Amino acid sequence: MQQAFRVIPFLVHLYVKSRMEYRSAFLLAIGAQFFSYACGFTSLWVMLLRFDTLGGWSWPQLALLFSFQLLTYSLGAATSFVQLRDIEEKVRLGTFDTLLVKPFSPWAYLVFSGLNIGYAGHIALAAGLMAWALTQVGVDWNFGTVAYLVAATISAAMVNAAIITMIGATAFIVVQSSHLYTIFFGVWELSRYPLNIFPAVLQWTLLTIVPLGFASYVPMAYLIGKDIAVLGSWGGPLSLLAGPVLVLLAMAHWRFAISKYQGAGG
Amino acid sequence: MSKYLAFAQSALQTQLAYRGQVWAAWFGRLIQVFAWIAIWMAVYKDAGSVNGVTLPEMITYAVIGSTLITAWDWRKLIYTLGNSVTSGDVAIYLLKPLRFPLYLFATECGNLTYRIAAIAVPVIIVATLTYGVLPPASLFHGLMFLAFFALSFVLMFLMAALCGLLAFWLMTAFSLEWTLQGILSLLSGSAIPLWFFPDAAQGLIKLLPSAWIGYHPIAVYLGKTTVSETWFYFTLGLGWAGLMAGGVALLWRAAATRITVQGG
Repeated sequence: MQQAFRVIPFLVHLYVKSRMEYRSAFLLAIGAQFFSYACGFTSLWVMLLRFDTLGGWSWPQLALLFSFQLLTYSLGAATSFVQLRDIEEKVRLGTFDTLLVKPFSPWAYLVFSGLNIGYAGHIALAAGLMAWALTQVGVDWNFGTVAYLVAATISAAMVNAAIITMIGATAFIVVQSSHLYTIFFGVWELSRYPLNIFPAVLQWTLLTIVPLGFASYVPMAYLIGKDIAVLGSWGGPLSLLAGPVLVLLAMAHWRFAISKYQGAGG
Repeated sequence: MSKYLAFAQSALQTQLAYRGQVWAAWFGRLIQVFAWIAIWMAVYKDAGSVNGVTLPEMITYAVIGSTLITAWDWRKLIYTLGNSVTSGDVAIYLLKPLRFPLYLFATECGNLTYRIAAIAVPVIIVATLTYGVLPPASLFHGLMFLAFFALSFVLMFLMAALCGLLAFWLMTAFSLEWTLQGILSLLSGSAIPLWFFPDAAQGLIKLLPSAWIGYHPIAVYLGKTTVSETWFYFTLGLGWAGLMAGGVALLWRAAATRITVQGG
């Protein structure tokens, strides 16, 4: 354990150093992603200019939902997405085997040696918009609501990281995982809208098979006092439980998948 | 010409070899279509028509915008072109008796054909059976939609090729891809039609080349443009395509010359 605490900051330091070697490309990438998501937000704003509400949600409320979804995805994906997407390639080429013989957890090595600081643009945009939206949606701020928001943010980041990790780990069993990421991002885009506008089958999908509803709609609807589709008053507490429960599931899945790993390259 | 047709055919056959992966793309696209239909149904809940546009028209708009218009994966071209130029792999193509940009265009025509047949058409059939998709406003508008659709693909190809070639100087295909994606998500009208934009901005945005990617083809399909307007926008779109093709040719020449100077 002590060794892990020494090695992890070193791995992160090495990764940051390598990214900073191409500083201008790194900054351009952050700027481009900031711009791209800002365009996405603007599209929604344009729609709301014309229609006022979407599923009973006003522009500031939707801005809160949008920004919370992007913020918690960025926090979760920084510790999972790019690193685990590449497992597929590592399995195919056989280079994953080199991680298995290191005296260190392969998961921790993968995640921290590629801790993605490139999400800074997403986080800056999401945090900025969220700060504005939170002042507009009329939340009764007290210790309880602040604590809920902090806990919901952590739980939602865990939901994202857990799902992404589970998808990445399936590459150990079936070699390919990229098509599952295609579906993940299809569903992820839906999770920035209020769940109540979707047909029941999509609502259930977002709460069960790909439970990203717990990382966006459910906690934000609870925070601003909206009726929560499907879950009702259970939504608030369930959104706090979803993160830890999914992380436990992801850990079990990771172990199972690694136990099935036979190598595909060589 | 026949050699480029062969490249298109070869790309199509390559795609067919990986047809096992298509279900994920198909499923992802279907979810997207249903999501946009749900969004328009939600905002139209109490309104019969907004800006003269009805809900069935918006459902049709969403289906075409999320299937045909976005069928082709332009991101891959930026990376293919960017990587082959920056890594020097492009040298192999410089030795062959072909024009590299035309070779890429032929290949992407093959990819587009596959994605229309394997992903867009099945999704359109499911959406038509579930929600109903309107036919073109008239025979003229239907035929012109096909022309606008082809123009949309050519313009999209040229925009992606410009970004891919710019990567040669900027050394980052990634940033260019995200920037283009941002511009298209807002200004192409493939998701939010330009007629819902504030009136002051609409006039200008409708004239930008991005409007020919999504907005103009679907507006023509739905009969939102008169015959003369349709011809006007088509001619203007061709003008944009010519301008961008010139830009691509210029950048390509500059990049190819630079590769030669470096010696590969």
